[in-house]
Amino acid sequence: MQPDVLRERLGPILGPRLLAVEPFAGTAGRVRFAREGALELFRAVRDTLGYRHLAMVGAIDWVDHREVFYVAWSDEERDYLFLSTDLPASDAHVESATPVWPAANWHEREAFEMVDVRFDHHPDLRHLLTPDEYAFHPLLRSFKLHEPEELEVKTRNV
Amino acid sequence: MTGATLYSVSAALSALLLGAVASILPAPVSGWLTSADVVTGLAVLIFSAILLVASMINTIMLIWFERKMLGRFMDRRGAMHVGYAGLLQNFADGLKLFRKNTFRPQEADSLGFYAGPTAYMVTSMILFGVLPISTGWSSGALPLSLLLALAIFSFAPLFIFVSAWSSNNKYSLIGGMRSAAQMIAYEVPILLAVVAVVIVSGSFDLNVIVNEQQNYWFWFPLLLALIVFVAGMLAEMERIPFDLPEAEAELVEGWNTEYGGMLFAFFMLADYVRALIGSILVVLLFLGGWTMPSWVPAAATSFPLAGIFWFMIKTYAVFGLFVWIRASLPRVRTDQLLRVGWNRMIPLALLSIVLAAVLVTVRCLPFLGCVPPVGG
Amino acid sequence: MWINMGPQHPMTHGLWNLRVRIEGEIIEEVDPEMGYLHRGIEKISEDRHYNEVITLMDRTCYVAGLAWEHLYIIAAEQALHLEPPERAQYIRTLSDELQRIASHLMWYAAFVQDIGLMTPFLYAMRDRDLVLDLFQSYTGARMTYEYNRVGGVRNDLPTGFTDRTRKVMDWIYARFVDYDHLCLDSDIFHRRCDGIGVLSARDCVDWGVTGPMLRSAGVRRDLRKDRPYAAYDRVEFDVAVADGADVTARYLVRMEEMRQAVRIVRQTLDWLDKNPGPVLADRLPRWLGAPYAPVGREGYLLKRNFPTGRGFSSVEEPHGEAQAYVVNTGGEHPYRVKFRSPVFANIAAAQKYLPGYRVADIPPIMGSVDICVGEVDR
Repeated sequence: MQPDVLRERLGPILGPRLLAVEPFAGTAGRVRFAREGALELFRAVRDTLGYRHLAMVGAIDWVDHREVFYVAWSDEERDYLFLSTDLPASDAHVESATPVWPAANWHEREAFEMVDVRFDHHPDLRHLLTPDEYAFHPLLRSFKLHEPEELEVKTRNV
Repeated sequence: MTGATLYSVSAALSALLLGAVASILPAPVSGWLTSADVVTGLAVLIFSAILLVASMINTIMLIWFERKMLGRFMDRRGAMHVGYAGLLQNFADGLKLFRKNTFRPQEADSLGFYAGPTAYMVTSMILFGVLPISTGWSSGALPLSLLLALAIFSFAPLFIFVSAWSSNNKYSLIGGMRSAAQMIAYEVPILLAVVAVVIVSGSFDLNVIVNEQQNYWFWFPLLLALIVFVAGMLAEMERIPFDLPEAEAELVEGWNTEYGGMLFAFFMLADYVRALIGSILVVLLFLGGWTMPSWVPAAATSFPLAGIFWFMIKTYAVFGLFVWIRASLPRVRTDQLLRVGWNRMIPLALLSIVLAAVLVTVRCLPFLGCVPPVGG
Repeated sequence: MWINMGPQHPMTHGLWNLRVRIEGEIIEEVDPEMGYLHRGIEKISEDRHYNEVITLMDRTCYVAGLAWEHLYIIAAEQALHLEPPERAQYIRTLSDELQRIASHLMWYAAFVQDIGLMTPFLYAMRDRDLVLDLFQSYTGARMTYEYNRVGGVRNDLPTGFTDRTRKVMDWIYARFVDYDHLCLDSDIFHRRCDGIGVLSARDCVDWGVTGPMLRSAGVRRDLRKDRPYAAYDRVEFDVAVADGADVTARYLVRMEEMRQAVRIVRQTLDWLDKNPGPVLADRLPRWLGAPYAPVGREGYLLKRNFPTGRGFSSVEEPHGEAQAYVVNTGGEHPYRVKFRSPVFANIAAAQKYLPGYRVADIPPIMGSVDICVGEVDR
């Protein structure tokens, strides 16, 4: 599926919430969308386009904003589709993809603990890899690897 | 066979020792020392000591035998370093376990935690006193020695369950429950299979049962009972494929999870004692005990230790079969095990009783000729 | 009753905790707890040179290091706009398949141990050692290889390697018959494994389950065929598929995959014999060109003229489909590296395929999943 085909088919469903569709090597394209249209986009991607298999959900901290990306796979197209949305760092939350893809459950838990992105209506938003009371979000750029002493003190206070 | 028995040897030894001691002591003490009661008492002690040491050495050699044989099955060499071909490896392991600190989980029940393994070990060891190893090498002709042996043998689930429960660990508890369920389920077919032997031999006395096999061994006419008995014994000994009470994959180590050091060694040793006893029972009941095959020349049969020699060969061969099974079969599941026990083994055992009854009634078999009169 | 199976439990094959609620012996509910092996590999990668991340990849999955190196390398090369030479592609294909054999043998050993078979465990471990010897002969290590480089591989194969590998492949291929005899011919094996741990094709797709677990449900999907990378479009092989979606089906799929891997290895060996050539791209930037990762930090301070980029790769590693996403913002280090492990999704789906079975079924079921905790926790 080509990026322009994606734009054609997703445009009517999402309207202005579909920001751009860029070519991205290794996938059918990189769909950038506004977070208000998240659930509709997931439904459309799964049911209309046939990307039924969610490969991964991840998040990137761009300091001023955070990006959440989804990778889905279609058995018919034999191709990946890359979805991404930008969230403001001060209010990073997006609708959970678990109602559409149950596989998103653990990936979103990981993104939540690592990059501090909240997933609304997630059934079980707990820490996955770090302890429950761990107060840091390691994959934020503000979490420095080179200051172990400072980190140690903080951990003890938790 | 020959005049010398283990008891007569120990009685002579006892009289000799006491006589030597009495000769240097004043009259009243020496007179008491050489009285028949004291001599008999010491003779019994010496007899037990010899039996105990011999059986323990055999048990430890059994572990060596299993390790070497498993090694060969798995394309490796097994224990090699301590002693010739690793013969002393298990003694070294035993010493190591003996030196280790025996610990108890804080929440474990102290009485059950220590009493369980001890009682398990002791009841297993007692069995050596019950089983005749060769003519004259038993503690005496007990008329119901077979029943006594099986009764002592079936103490084990109780003690396993006590030690499992008192270690206050969920895995141990599940393992203990499985163990109890499994042993009770397989007691029944074992006893029924034994009934077939008793019908044919006409006695509960193991000496008589072996003597009845002078003409032919019971395994051929009672093949069905043998199969049931061996399968039941595998379950009683908790060896693969029936080792689910200590299935390490799901229950860590089952009922002995919390044990270490000497207490673990007790379990380990008692397991092999029971394996040895199980092999001995198979030999006694089905493979002719210490009787020799007919092709053995008469000169060899009259050799003093020939009976024991053949007995040990058969016992180790039976144990080798158990090791072979362990090397080649996966483990079954509890429900499958119990279903096989209740639904397959018991009907088979009952069928073997019927076959035994028919055999006794008809009295004659093709290839084997006629059975001697029942009841001796 | 809740039971904690782990973090130190023989079933776990790693370091994780499977919390199980049981009613009698029946599993009612499961709650896997991960993170005992979390080393922050994605975070460490943000602070590492592109070639230094390869070191972490070996540690990500310690039984399939070369496959994970390959995964990262594809994404990194895409992010840095580099193309490896063809011979390197073939060597990577060869490495992937040898790694698949080694990993599947490891799985086989652990799996049969779970159902109580002791003998095949040692058989498989010994045969795996032969493959590890091959790795040692051309990467210099048996477990943590650090063999791939951005733009190719570190060194060419040693002389005599192809013949030695052919001999090992012949030996191992003959051994597969023994493995099958030891398992499939046993009635107890079928009693333990048939019809348990069933995860239907629909649930597999919903829960993101991939690899042998998905193919055992009858779905013919293999990234090596669907989206060929390296030299997979130039070798012949079949996708192993089985029906039943149970433990036995997963066993069959993995055994067949090993046979196909042997087939692929033989083809790549033939090609490598005939086509000598470079194994590392020329015209690499100075800070990437050294065959060994530079030691000092000074090397990174050079101004680089590379455009920014994003790389996404997906690889059929022994456990399933792995994905990597590398973001290059023009610095010396990747800005963000994200890995998706197939086992991550396969364990997450445990709440679908475990409840309803017995406690005694947990070891064979989880064994058939082929767990590598290193790549789940990363």
